[in-house]
Amino acid sequence: METKKKLLSVSVPLLSVVLAFLIGALIIAFLGASPMDSLVYLFQGAFGSATNIGNTLVKATPLIFTGLCACFAYRCGVFNLGGEGQFIMGSITAIWVAAGWGIEGKGAAVIALMLGMAAGGLWGAIPGVLRIVRGLNEMIVSIMLNYVATLFMGYIYTLVLREGSVPQTLPVPDATKLTRIIPGMRATSGLIIALALAAAVYYFLFYTSKGFQLRAVGLNPTASRFNGFPINKFILASFVVSGAIAGLGGAAELLGTQFRLMSGYGLGFGFDGVAIALIAQRNPIATVLVAYFFAVLRVGATTMQVGAGVPTSVIEIIQALVIVFAVAGTALVRLPEIQQLLLPRSATKEEK
Amino acid sequence: MGSMFTLNFLSEILLSTIRMATPLLLVALAELYSERAGLVNIGLDGIMAFGALAGFMVCYITGNPTLGLLAGAVGGVLINMIYAYCTINLCAEQIVYGMAINIFAPAVASFIYRVYFGVSSTLAQATLMKAVAIPVLKDIPVIGQLLFNQTPMVYIAYLLVPLTAIFFNRTKAGLNYKAVGEHPKAAETLGINVVKQKYIACIICGLLAGIGGAYLTTCYVNTYSDGIVAGRGFIALSAVIFGHWTGSGVLLACLLFGFFDALQLRLQIISVTTPYQLFQMLPYIFTLVALAIMGAKKAGPKSKGQPYRREER
Repeated sequence: METKKKLLSVSVPLLSVVLAFLIGALIIAFLGASPMDSLVYLFQGAFGSATNIGNTLVKATPLIFTGLCACFAYRCGVFNLGGEGQFIMGSITAIWVAAGWGIEGKGAAVIALMLGMAAGGLWGAIPGVLRIVRGLNEMIVSIMLNYVATLFMGYIYTLVLREGSVPQTLPVPDATKLTRIIPGMRATSGLIIALALAAAVYYFLFYTSKGFQLRAVGLNPTASRFNGFPINKFILASFVVSGAIAGLGGAAELLGTQFRLMSGYGLGFGFDGVAIALIAQRNPIATVLVAYFFAVLRVGATTMQVGAGVPTSVIEIIQALVIVFAVAGTALVRLPEIQQLLLPRSATKEEK
Repeated sequence: MGSMFTLNFLSEILLSTIRMATPLLLVALAELYSERAGLVNIGLDGIMAFGALAGFMVCYITGNPTLGLLAGAVGGVLINMIYAYCTINLCAEQIVYGMAINIFAPAVASFIYRVYFGVSSTLAQATLMKAVAIPVLKDIPVIGQLLFNQTPMVYIAYLLVPLTAIFFNRTKAGLNYKAVGEHPKAAETLGINVVKQKYIACIICGLLAGIGGAYLTTCYVNTYSDGIVAGRGFIALSAVIFGHWTGSGVLLACLLFGFFDALQLRLQIISVTTPYQLFQMLPYIFTLVALAIMGAKKAGPKSKGQPYRREER
């Protein structure tokens, strides 16, 4: 029965992907292109050569970070929609260290990553504190802080660390850039950090007692309170850790891929992370896979646009449809009627 | 001379406050109607984005901003029906589904825009709705021009506030409506069709939020761009909390938020040396500070956020 449940929780996102692709194919056909050709171009773009595979990994890296960021807070029952702001604050701190301190090299990179992580954590602490102290809705607070962070970044790249006449910051010095892990591919050690982090989050959530308590707070705060778990501490900690994950991701993205801040940096990464965490049903390992899937779609989309003449925004629709279907599907299989149909004997039991 | 300047400055700020507050007010009222039926809809940003696109497209093609607003309303309802079905029938978590709408609707909007106008075309421009002055009232000194020389949408939005208050507090239908949000099971035993009422709430919510989005592209700026909503849906959401789920409270909150938006625009023009980004932060920071001072203790409709299953004990 447990395996049947597991099967069900895996089949919902997979079915959602299939459905989303079918609708995507219809849209492509409607635009007058061949869906089959588009799919071939999509996969060629994502896997066609070592460079392309590397590019996909590069695209996946920040998504893994923001996905884990959303996933971690969501496990504690709070919604961190501020991944983007935390990501950006991490990046700002990283460029400040890398380009503003006048230090170079691996040591500088480590300092930039650590401080970026701290900045993300601090930015993430604000919605946590306001929720605990003033009872504010953490979603609203974290969203507002995204806009503040984005505008602050604009201030940084237009005035503080500006390079010449172009509104962008100075670049990260070559010696400070993260090293590439495989020759010929753009993927950097940022990817290793992301994967290690996913494993660490998984281990923490499912193999430590604090992780168990954190999940308990997320599932049933009232019962947890009666059990004497410090609910507020867990909520605040989950926000700080969640923000720190995004901040580290921002620093890694800056030092490994983008090298400078400019208009549009980090845009959408926060919500992408939320979408990824939702499709992955809050599982850190699944988060990595879904983030990779999103990256495949994005890198492939460019090739598809050139090859089949299909605009890349079709991919955004497919992504959005996956989440719409996945969330609806998850709810659907939880309905008592459907539970009885699919899992006759476990109908009365609550899901894990 | 100096006092003339300040008077002029003040009246200009007030004028743009009223304009800035209008979309917020429409969308905050949308959320009010939704939450009063127990449905927390955080997908307002998404609905607005789609309404903004629908409004812009129709306005661009027909040249008629009124039709654009109507299209925004229809688009908003259509998008919100997805939310309605999934949260009411499938009992999906409202917050999660609202978030799904926030990701889905802007993606669809931006796709339609790109397919229709091409990827690299120059910015398409549509006509803006013209202000309609109300005779007699517009001749009142100072406030006449402020309050009674606006686009019809502004009048409608502000008229909705007293109408909403009367509906919820003085009519049977309104009390039934509120009962669904407070205690759906008790409402059901009184013979109220809870599911139908929730669907009606979603239609009203989609309609108003769609119009709120369309207002941005038919009455405020004459172009559409991705991210045009700029978190207004979430500001409206906080206006509902700030306004304690009442029509007048929501109005006050929207005017305050609108004022800070208007103020930052004026300040940008006056103080060119200060980086404009710092001014643009004002509305967001103000929203946070206002909420933090007010606090948001447990309030609002009791069943909000809860799924309703008829068969459940």
